[in-house]
Amino acid sequence: MTAIAYETFHLGLRTTRRFIRVPANFISIIFFPLIQLLVFSQLYQDIVQLPGFGGQSSYLAYLAPGQVAFTAFMAVAWSGYGLLVEYRSGYIDKLRASPITHWSILASETVPLFFQAAAMSAIILVVSLLLGATIATGIGGFLLILALAGLFGVAFAGASFIPALLTKSEQATSTFSLLLFPLMFASTAFVPEALMPGWLQVVNDWNPISYLIEAIRSLMVIGYDWGKIGTAILTIGALGVILQAATLWAFHRLAR
Amino acid sequence: MQEAQPIIEVRDLVKVYGGEARAVDGITFEVAPGELFGFLGPNGAGKTTTIRILATLLRQTDGIARVAGFDVATQPKEVRRRLGLAMQTPALDAFSTGRETLELAGRLHRMPAAEIRRRADELLELMGLSSVAKKLTGQYSGGMKRRLDLASALVHRPQVLILDEPTEGLDPQSRTALWEELERISNAGTTMLLTTHYMEEADRLCTRLAIIDNGKIVVEGQPGDLKRGIGADTVVLQLEATDGDLENQRAEVRRLLEGIVAPDGFADHPTGVSVAVPNASSAIPTLLRRLDDDSVHIAGLQMTQPSLDNVFLKYTGRHIREEAADQPIILGW
Repeated sequence: MTAIAYETFHLGLRTTRRFIRVPANFISIIFFPLIQLLVFSQLYQDIVQLPGFGGQSSYLAYLAPGQVAFTAFMAVAWSGYGLLVEYRSGYIDKLRASPITHWSILASETVPLFFQAAAMSAIILVVSLLLGATIATGIGGFLLILALAGLFGVAFAGASFIPALLTKSEQATSTFSLLLFPLMFASTAFVPEALMPGWLQVVNDWNPISYLIEAIRSLMVIGYDWGKIGTAILTIGALGVILQAATLWAFHRLAR
Repeated sequence: MQEAQPIIEVRDLVKVYGGEARAVDGITFEVAPGELFGFLGPNGAGKTTTIRILATLLRQTDGIARVAGFDVATQPKEVRRRLGLAMQTPALDAFSTGRETLELAGRLHRMPAAEIRRRADELLELMGLSSVAKKLTGQYSGGMKRRLDLASALVHRPQVLILDEPTEGLDPQSRTALWEELERISNAGTTMLLTTHYMEEADRLCTRLAIIDNGKIVVEGQPGDLKRGIGADTVVLQLEATDGDLENQRAEVRRLLEGIVAPDGFADHPTGVSVAVPNASSAIPTLLRRLDDDSVHIAGLQMTQPSLDNVFLKYTGRHIREEAADQPIILGW
């Protein structure tokens, strides 16, 4: 166990360097959430007058939690791609031929995503605050939001690792990441569930991102709603167990 | 005196991919400590598959492989501790610096931090990479990447160094420089197993080699012995003759050289006769003395010694193809 921790730490420093040393990473993750935050909050500012919004006065306040969650999504949606490039270059083989636990190779890809997703989400959260959004729960809520975003990132990363490890194709992997995008729009990021058509409500009920968004929204707008926070943690946990178990299985297949 | 325990020991190794081709088809060989053993063969012969099995990256279908006394299938971690590996293309993290690359390798082998620093300095110096130690490896040239990859395989002072096509894709200058490097590592006592499809490389570097073709070892031995084994040097006697006269002169040469060249050692050559002799340089004076006769007119002499290519040709019936390794094209998806 200590061996895995030691190896994950040192290999994780490497994957973190790989992330930090490419400024394009920051831009590609933040760009869309930032644009949506800036433009949609102006474009649809009157949408909050619809009854479904429950008397909320600012669309920015409604929009911000979704964009914070979207940033965590963007931070990990392509994570399988990097793993695949290193698999193809032979780097993963070189690590496999060194005296380490193979799980630490995967852990070193996954664990840093907690910090990457949390850090990127923090940027969008701070921008939201500068634009006028508030956090009802203060600094404690701020940190809890980032922790939830980070956890979601780790859990959801499997959705990119799995196609990467199974297809071993960069094109397939990045295309699959694009196919995940509708999850963001079929969530309560832009409008409340009450305003969705029936079929979309069904999708939304099964959409893990919505549970993250609702927990963040409660922390920003209402207060510590432990029911929503607990539901979000359970949902993220379940998602993480399913996706990461499948990732472990797919990673193990490589060794044959 | 008892012979030293082999450091690499392979018995009847078989690898079948997906129930189809036998990529490795019953390979047996041993490498003694300190040897520089070469696997010579064309692309697709089974060299890389064998190496991947020895490096614990691939599970064999059948047979036994042991490295430094440990079974690669059942004790892979013990093997990995004692193994340095550099594959066909340098496997480096483009976003780490040269120094970071070596330090991480040391960490993964659980070396103490102070020793890692010392060793990294030493290897960077040795490989001529000190001046680029702080640059990202993504900015390195092909030769620099090779040297760093090799250095990262050496950080933990492995008992065995396994190299797959170590000079593939390098320009001639970088190749020669890397050969010198490998010779130095070998002279320092590290056992090495390398694969190559370059005759010159195998000839120059390897103390012993195995020619591998279609997943089988067709012949094994020291390069010099292998070359001598295919017989003899060849001396081509070019004759000064008009069309009709050439055949007469050839007959005359055969008559004059009777007794010093075996009857089956003669062969017609477009410009004269070629004769096979055990050692060309010592045979030539005798040949010329015997041929000092008015009936033949020697226009020129040409001597050739057998190369590994001749060895390869003899045992496989083909010339080795000196071309870059084919990369499979990924279709679909």
